[in-house]
Amino acid sequence: MTGPDEPAALSATGLGFRYRARGGWALRDCGFTVPRGRITALVGRNGAGKSTLLHLAGGLLRPAEGEIRALDSVPGTASARSRVALVTQDKPLYPRFTVADTLRMGARLNSRWDPAVPERVVREGGIAPGARVGELSPGQRTRVALALALGKRPELLLLDEPLADLDPVVRGEVMATLMTEAAERELSIVLSSHVLPELEETCDWVLLLRDGRVGLSEDTGTLREDHLLVTGHADGAAALAGHDVVHRRTHGRQLTALLRPRGPLDGDWHVTHPGLEEILLGHLRGAEALAGDLKEAA
Amino acid sequence: MKGSLWLAWRQQRVLVGCGAAVLVAAAALAAHFRSGMLDALRGGLFDHCAPGPLYCTRPSDGLPMFLDIEPLKLLGALNIALPVLIGMFWGAPLLGRDRELGTHRMVLAQGVSRAQWFTSRLALAALGTVAVSGTLAWLFHWWWEPAADRSYGLFWYETTALSGSGPSTVAAALFGLAVGTLAGLLARRVLAAMAWTLSVTAATAFLVQWLHRSRLLVPPHRYVSQGTRPKPPMGDKWSTGNYGLITASGRREPVLNCPYPSGPELKECMARHGYVARFYEANPAGDYWTVQWYDTALLGGLALVLTAATVVLLRRRV
Repeated sequence: MTGPDEPAALSATGLGFRYRARGGWALRDCGFTVPRGRITALVGRNGAGKSTLLHLAGGLLRPAEGEIRALDSVPGTASARSRVALVTQDKPLYPRFTVADTLRMGARLNSRWDPAVPERVVREGGIAPGARVGELSPGQRTRVALALALGKRPELLLLDEPLADLDPVVRGEVMATLMTEAAERELSIVLSSHVLPELEETCDWVLLLRDGRVGLSEDTGTLREDHLLVTGHADGAAALAGHDVVHRRTHGRQLTALLRPRGPLDGDWHVTHPGLEEILLGHLRGAEALAGDLKEAA
Repeated sequence: MKGSLWLAWRQQRVLVGCGAAVLVAAAALAAHFRSGMLDALRGGLFDHCAPGPLYCTRPSDGLPMFLDIEPLKLLGALNIALPVLIGMFWGAPLLGRDRELGTHRMVLAQGVSRAQWFTSRLALAALGTVAVSGTLAWLFHWWWEPAADRSYGLFWYETTALSGSGPSTVAAALFGLAVGTLAGLLARRVLAAMAWTLSVTAATAFLVQWLHRSRLLVPPHRYVSQGTRPKPPMGDKWSTGNYGLITASGRREPVLNCPYPSGPELKECMARHGYVARFYEANPAGDYWTVQWYDTALLGGLALVLTAATVVLLRRRV
């Protein structure tokens, strides 16, 4: 785990945000620290607050309460702006600019701009510099948006659903581009995604949101080691009482549970080590049950 | 700042080009028609005309004579429409286009701050607006001058001259730009912002016209004269159409009680009714500038208020 002294890519304490003063909270009481140099998967169901969190981290929104720090600076300040890049979900670009114009704009609007990287990203996508952005395919547009973000040589790259509306081949190419960049220089990436299997291979940190609160902020290796998937007879459920059960499902007389054991497991269980996808799904599903319990209690 | 100015220029260069084209065309037309007007004046056709508001007639057939001022009036109409045009086509897309496409999120994720981004584009748009409206207002004035306040030309109080020239034209254009900018921020759609801008700027133009006609801001002067002496000529004054007679106690009564222009009938009638003087109400020609400065202060002030509101809302909404 990380201590408070270690430089963080992204951190928050008591962070809260709501879109209108009278509306519900999109984020509430969020506290987490994502260390630098990690590729972080920001996971959560629709409406969990992923985009809101990334907009806050990129300085497009201001917290209603608490605070958020990107690379230990306040988002939106000059220091944060020059080192943090954000690509929002809709990947907005000026449709009437050519690709070359768009990159020229990046060069003009950023104090440190490395033309080599964006040009390579665009070239690898087979995109003509003279093409108008409005005439590109969604995949090509994503590439241009990424090129623009990488050209400013960010230390923290925030990507909101970068892989949505891309076909699997392009998805792989885009991820490969990102991984190359991350490996070649000090780059922390936070990317939100619904595509859990893609994250399994690439991400080494998980930030999981549920209903606007932080569910997990942990190293993926630790998560894999800590979780067990157990299957056994439903009558033996009492034996699980001493452990942290993330999610459980009964199918007839068979019980399947995702849990974090505290000490040795009693009883007759078939035990496996779940993959990251199963762990994350368990945590996302578990939230439902938890929310249900809370409603009954209220 | 340099970067955001570059972006502002890159996005507004078409508008700047259109503005420049309009200016060139207007200047060419103004030069052409003005020289035609000067030729007509130099020809001595109008030399016998009195300076008053009554039509000057041709000695040969008695028909009223005019300079060809229709093109000048068209330029005045264009100047009056400037707030609407600039508001819709320059103001509304200024923030509205980015709001519609979401591209402000991309720009603000680069190295420029919200303040730099907004200041650059508004500054360029305001500069363009001042250049276009200022030049057109000056062109109108230059063209109008030889024909100003002549019965065969254009009096200062006619709508196209009063609202289509002078500093109020610039203030009105900036007002239109401010309305469009705020509408673009609030409406999130360029088309909706244009519709809002059209209704607000057009309504304001009518309100300003009504203020002029009602003379609420610049009240007319009352010219009083003894019935025994000729009254001061109307000349280039803007009459309210309100004439009358004054009794010894100072009461004003309608002019129709003694409907005589002058002479013994008038004298006799006034004595019979106990009137001691005649009066009429009108704005002197110097009120052109009073009206101009009132309009400039009103519209310029509104432009500042709307821009301040845009800055405040920009922090909350974008």
